Amino acid sequence: MDPAAPGIQEPFDLIRLSLSERVFVKLRGDRELTGVLHAYDGHMNLILSEVEETILIVEGPDSGKANGTVNVAKRKMEMLFVRGDGVILVAPPSRT
Amino acid sequence: MDESTPPPPESGPPPPPPVAPPTVSGSPTDFLKGVVGKRVVVRLTSGVDYRGVLSCLDGYMNIALEQTEEHVNGRVTNRYGDAFIRGNNVLYISAAEAI
Amino acid sequence: MLIFSVFKTLTDQRVTVELKNDLSITGTLKSVDQFLNIRLDGIKVLDEQRYPHMMAVRNCFIRGSVVRYVQIPKEHVDVQLLEDATRREAANTVKR
Repeated sequence: MDPAAPGIQEPFDLIRLSLSERVFVKLRGDRELTGVLHAYDGHMNLILSEVEETILIVEGPDSGKANGTVNVAKRKMEMLFVRGDGVILVAPPSRT
Repeated sequence: MDESTPPPPESGPPPPPPVAPPTVSGSPTDFLKGVVGKRVVVRLTSGVDYRGVLSCLDGYMNIALEQTEEHVNGRVTNRYGDAFIRGNNVLYISAAEAI
Repeated sequence: MLIFSVFKTLTDQRVTVELKNDLSITGTLKSVDQFLNIRLDGIKVLDEQRYPHMMAVRNCFIRGSVVRYVQIPKEHVDVQLLEDATRREAANTVKR
């Protein structure tokens, strides 16, 4: 095996290298987070600080609004535990 | 000549034994080993596609991708230098270049 | 195990548990187990208008699997300690 990224043998290495960095997290239920990663485990349970959550609310056909309109709700949280089963994707800050 | 008459047995050289075409041989594990380092499309059960270079994966099908593009309904909706995808969301991994 | 330990250090602190059905409950963390089931005392539901049946409830047991987030007090989290413990656990985890 010759992974293109140096030092990454398994997917969790990507997460380990992101400790104390700001990461992007995509969650089930049209939610996205950015926050500084402080802890994770094999379930992808996460502990993040300085979290900003974005909830995408797509209007349905019976909402009275134009179908497909996307509303965005944002909120901030200081320190947050995220249960791993809701995680779809974690993106570290881009390494250049 | 009666064309419906079957040819006499063993009249010519025996047909070659059936072999699987080499391009589709191998186990799922062989496929996964083969696509590491290659361009792939990862489709999630939600229908979202991630296109990128497969850095590595594990037994849960957790995936690390590089140069990742997120495609929703054929449109690029996000780009990530690296991305970790939690395996439970994966529907399939498809090779996007020759293995 | 790491996250379990973190929650144990947070017992008797006020936390806000957000469930996957959007119900948010603030309460004093009384106990937690390996499944991250949570017992809360002195609870207060964030949106009481929407969940009036919760007004009489003073304490509750929350099954870990229904949790989306837990907001935790940042004063009681040593992020350096967390990151070190996470790296240690990652190093000890058998690669699959």
